[in-house]
Amino acid sequence: MRSVTETSASSSRDRPPAWFDLEDDNRLRVGGVWRLAQVDRLSRRLERAGLAGRTVREIDASGLTELDSAGAQLLIRAAASPDAIAGVDGRFRGLLRRVADAEAATADLSRTRRPGGAGAPLALIGWRTVGVGLRVWELLGFLGQCTGAVAKVLVRPWTLDGRATLHHLQATGLNALPIVGLLAFLIGVVVAFMGALQLQKFSAGIYTVDMVGIAVLRELGVLFAAIMVAGRSGSAFTAQIGAMSLNEEIDAMRVIGLDPVGMLVVPRIVALVIALPLLTVYADLVALAGGAVVSLALLDIGIPLFLERLSNAVDETAFLIGLAKAPFFAAAIAIVGCFEGFKVTGSAASVGRRTTTSVVEAIFTVILIDAAFAMALSWLNI
Amino acid sequence: MIGPTPAAEKPQPAVSVRGLENRFGEILLHDGLDLDVRPGEVLGLVGSSGSGKTVLMRSIIGLNRPSGGEVRVLGQALTALHGRARKTLLSRIGVLFQNGALFSGLTVAENIALVLKLHTGLAPVQIDRLARQKIDMAGLPQDAADRMPAQLSGGMRTRAGLARALALDPEIVFLDEPTAGLDPIGAADFDRLIRELQRSLGLTVFMVTHDLNSLVAVTDRIAVLVDRKIRVGPLEELLKDPHPWIQAYFRGPRAQAAHNAAGSGH
Repeated sequence: MRSVTETSASSSRDRPPAWFDLEDDNRLRVGGVWRLAQVDRLSRRLERAGLAGRTVREIDASGLTELDSAGAQLLIRAAASPDAIAGVDGRFRGLLRRVADAEAATADLSRTRRPGGAGAPLALIGWRTVGVGLRVWELLGFLGQCTGAVAKVLVRPWTLDGRATLHHLQATGLNALPIVGLLAFLIGVVVAFMGALQLQKFSAGIYTVDMVGIAVLRELGVLFAAIMVAGRSGSAFTAQIGAMSLNEEIDAMRVIGLDPVGMLVVPRIVALVIALPLLTVYADLVALAGGAVVSLALLDIGIPLFLERLSNAVDETAFLIGLAKAPFFAAAIAIVGCFEGFKVTGSAASVGRRTTTSVVEAIFTVILIDAAFAMALSWLNI
Repeated sequence: MIGPTPAAEKPQPAVSVRGLENRFGEILLHDGLDLDVRPGEVLGLVGSSGSGKTVLMRSIIGLNRPSGGEVRVLGQALTALHGRARKTLLSRIGVLFQNGALFSGLTVAENIALVLKLHTGLAPVQIDRLARQKIDMAGLPQDAADRMPAQLSGGMRTRAGLARALALDPEIVFLDEPTAGLDPIGAADFDRLIRELQRSLGLTVFMVTHDLNSLVAVTDRIAVLVDRKIRVGPLEELLKDPHPWIQAYFRGPRAQAAHNAAGSGH
């Protein structure tokens, strides 16, 4: 309402800034400033007077002092037809005609918009399901492409882009050391803490060492390193490749004759397959150190005793099982990350969406593979 | 915008630039530049690449704080305004950035509705109605309303950007290379659209362009940015200007072709 009074200064004093009078049933006189700032109030009053819906046969618009396309829309929506508006100042005629055209174009469409109905949620479920199926299908296709490209590099190792691989090795491996270390240490502390509190009740505190050793070496070390890498590097792969594809760099590669998978994906897979096992060993060591610290503080188990107990409790198979999973996790993270990157289309929003999907899918895949390993190993009695 | 013309003898310029200076490190881009945009005219701004056309436009619309001089839009200095006053002045200008600069997370209709929502207290139905009107006025089909910017062609994106610039019925619109990247037919359509809107809405148009055809077809006056200053006038006047760049620009083969094409069209 404040805006109405602001503009009132420019119109005559005795009249409100925008006004209309219904003279008899079908003759409306309008005048004043019919502009966007007044439209809210005017449309409410028109509605209250029952005039909002294309009913008025005659509108006398000679009193208009200012008009814009929002005000013109109101007038035309009140009029039975655009011809019903008479006495318009010459300045506004072009505008009124243009707005009338726009109204005619938008009127028939607003009625046919959005077919909804009871079937819509069902249809949505159907489409989503088809979507998921297609994704899996595409991902499998991409997996095949990647396998082919990696196989090519394995046969001819000198074709590998060494610089890119080293760069990714540093970005995904070396630069991840601080955060992976911190996380692993805390995991070791938490596991040991839980174990110590529970096992002490049975005076079996010393078994904390067994628990930490087996849990960390076989499962947690590699799992948490992989989750960290999926969040850090899988997302980065998606964003990098996504931005390149927005910039049409991927298309440029294809046209020049470069294989984008060989150029972009293989170095990332190779780098991650090397980096994640290394990170796993590192995470294992740091997590064990975390366990040792808790054992010392809570259970008075000294470092020599901890090490002795550890070497009795776990043999190298637990460590090797953990380590063996790392390359599979790494390949899954790299492939999912790159796949989502290639799927980026159109806009910056797409990069964000794909990056989210990439992280979720990568972590999901990692846990799926881990479960598959657990089942296979239990079947093999290892 | 069509308003009551004040009884004053000379209408206040829509944009007035006085003694504008823009310096970036060692580079002096504008040096005591003066420019008036008259209300209701279509002014085209040309100049060689890197001469500071975009910086000039950004200085006028308040995105760039000049190192010296004064810029007034509709009689007010945008950079000196804050809060409500600034918002009010901003609602009286519309800007079409290169390639539209649409918000990529919103549909075309939502892009326009966002502006209306920010500046008016209208009901959602009304906002939607106005957004659809602007979509039609910018020459887009109605089914473009619910599409994402990424799903539009370059020409449609420019039109959607124009629809957003027109959302509040501004008094001045600034267009940054609106026909760049459009095919000649699309560009000619766009020229016609600008002319038509300018006439029916009474707009003042400030247009940065290199499209000689649109300069000839649409503009009332042309401002040339040479030697860090502006020379402004109708095309016929500029043709007489002896400055070598202006001569090369308006007498070059492409300019001749554009001029001939426009001439034979009448």
